[in-house]
Amino acid sequence: MSGSLQTSLIADTSVQLPSKEEVALFRNSLKQNICVQMLKEGYHRSFSELFFLIHSNQDETASTKPGSVVSLLTPLEEQQDKLEAMRLHLTRAEQAERIGSWSVVCEQRLCLGQYFSAPEDLWLRFHFYHSCADREQGGCSRPATEARVCLAELYLQQGDLEEARHQAELCLTQADSGDWLDSAGCPLRLRVRRALCRIYSQLADAPLATANYDEALALLHKGYSIATESEDKEIQGDGAYRLGLAYQCSGDHDTAKKFFNTCMQICGTLQDADGLGEAYKAMATSLESEGNTDASVRCLEEFADISRSSGLLHNLVDACLCLGNVFYTMSQYKRACESFLQGYEVACQTGDVAPIQTAQVLVANARARSLIKTYSADVTSATPTALHRLLAWKDTRGHEELSADCAAPTTTAWY
Amino acid sequence: MDAEDGCSKIIPLALPKGVKKLCELCQKEAHLQCTKCRVTFYCDAEHQQADWVGIHERICQLLVPIRTPTIFSLQQAGRIETRIKKVELIEICRLVTQGKLSEGKYQEALPAAQFCLRCSIDVHGPSAVQLVPAFLQLAEANMGLGNLAVVMELLSQAEWAVLKSPECGPAVRHQLHRILGRLHTATGNLEAALLHFSNDIYFASEAYGLHSTVTCGGYFLMANVFAKQGRMPIVRSLYSQVVHTWHYHLTEHLRTQVQNVENPVTVLEPCYDNSQQAEVDKMLRTILEFAQSDSRKDSTQIALAAHCLAMLWFLGGDSLKALGFGSTALQASQLIPNHDLTEPIQGLLQLVNGLQI
Repeated sequence: MSGSLQTSLIADTSVQLPSKEEVALFRNSLKQNICVQMLKEGYHRSFSELFFLIHSNQDETASTKPGSVVSLLTPLEEQQDKLEAMRLHLTRAEQAERIGSWSVVCEQRLCLGQYFSAPEDLWLRFHFYHSCADREQGGCSRPATEARVCLAELYLQQGDLEEARHQAELCLTQADSGDWLDSAGCPLRLRVRRALCRIYSQLADAPLATANYDEALALLHKGYSIATESEDKEIQGDGAYRLGLAYQCSGDHDTAKKFFNTCMQICGTLQDADGLGEAYKAMATSLESEGNTDASVRCLEEFADISRSSGLLHNLVDACLCLGNVFYTMSQYKRACESFLQGYEVACQTGDVAPIQTAQVLVANARARSLIKTYSADVTSATPTALHRLLAWKDTRGHEELSADCAAPTTTAWY
Repeated sequence: MDAEDGCSKIIPLALPKGVKKLCELCQKEAHLQCTKCRVTFYCDAEHQQADWVGIHERICQLLVPIRTPTIFSLQQAGRIETRIKKVELIEICRLVTQGKLSEGKYQEALPAAQFCLRCSIDVHGPSAVQLVPAFLQLAEANMGLGNLAVVMELLSQAEWAVLKSPECGPAVRHQLHRILGRLHTATGNLEAALLHFSNDIYFASEAYGLHSTVTCGGYFLMANVFAKQGRMPIVRSLYSQVVHTWHYHLTEHLRTQVQNVENPVTVLEPCYDNSQQAEVDKMLRTILEFAQSDSRKDSTQIALAAHCLAMLWFLGGDSLKALGFGSTALQASQLIPNHDLTEPIQGLLQLVNGLQI
């Protein structure tokens, strides 16, 4: 009796006793549990990689000053979901690696790259994208190509233009060789071209700033030709616009106008009011520089109309102010004043303080110019009769309408 | 000096009353006494002889001050001094045991390991974490002798000591898990063995780094367990990791040896001690044979393993073996499509040939 009682007791306790693994889950650190779990199943490469990453994170934290932002972040080894995600995908990748299905390996690494979206995990994104794209085997697969596009975009985002260009150029032919879609369903061919255009355009900024137009134009032409290869009209329009601006800076207004026209056509078909407006504005600048003021004014009016009809208030303010400026330089102060005033009213609708203030100053300036115009000769002549006229004007002056703009610009000084 | 001469019968009347002398090795009633120190006793000549060979010859005189009570040794200062001497003794015994273990003389290692444990208990108490190295050495010796039950007993004591001290470092934990893994491999509990080797590798990586040869040893042992389970892809992968690590270390070692010492005579000096060399040799041979008999015929793995062995034997000073493995490596390396191995292998063969002439 007692014997059987004892055995049943033992059986009961053995059911309740947790296994060694379960005990380890409570006793040991998260890092150790994850590492041991991978090793036990034979995934030693996954273990090495995870262990290495955790330790580089520790080293990074240790090398920064205490109290800095990095040292306040939760260390990687304490973030269970991230460690679990790495374990899952790394072991899947290792499994695939053993049977030689390289594209699955890349797929899993790409997943990890996309998983780490927080800003403090940027280095992990870079690590996994690189480990996917730079593989010897499987480096030409779809996921590897997508990882490289992601790398190009990341480098661009980080401002490392040269590296971004390197990555994007590397995967250009790769993306063309396969008719691949990225994880979100967008063709990779298009995505790499979009990135490359942005990269060339930003690369051109530096030579443009130092007036090195040849280099800038070469880069922008490269970008434009890549844009035309893609079916993406938007980047084509943008490329044409950028090229036009560069030619405008270099003083070649004819070529600039050609590109602005291309841009207008593209934006017209795309019904991109914003782009179209920008193109009109740029065109107006070129026309004005050539002295073709009437055409310039027409362009700006077009810009204003487009902005008004599509409800782009900020553009409308811009258009009004530009128009005002053109009139102002032609000394048509009344028209200038009207334009500025219109701009001011629209700016008030947007509620933005900066354009409101700009418009206020411009309105006031134009108004003053317009009012004083009739008497500017009297001010300069300084004869007693002129002085009398001025005094009489002062006494009688109430609210006056603005004097009409004369056709010919006056060059008289007014002070 | 012959050990047989060094003992005499205990004369009970010569001893203080009521004190029973026990055998140094088996703790049974003693009948013999060491004549050199007169503080060590044995049940029979066989145990006296075993202890003499095992450790006593080395520590005979050191025991005298510890085991002879004087007025000074009973005072506070005397106790501290005795403790220091005991700690020194522990270290000596540890080294002696290690030497015997690595030479594979497990029976001879027992007396030293036992004494080391007893002395450690004296100094640190019965279940202190400081006893773990002594437990592990004793377990290692018993493992070599096939006394698995004793090993199990010792290791559970070691596990308990480690469990009670969370501050215990990764190096000790790695050793504990490694021997536990080997125990479970020997008893056929493969899942438990894998769990322990996993922990072993984890702690070894913490203590010595991911790519150290110590960690590598864990991978090799683990691969053997997977081989028993028939999970060959994992075995291949683990062996490849082991070979790569050793290839890196041996290449580095060879490079520094050749660079530092232009004198060929000094190059021949073995860089690892013999036992370690034998261990590495056995490991790399196992991997080489596995790769050669593997249906996949992975030439890279064969070339790397054979190159490792050639470097190992060259550094160990055996030109013939180095040449043999070198030519195996060369043959295999020429089968690899993009082989950058051929050049270092040929370089090594030239070095070996240069020495022979």
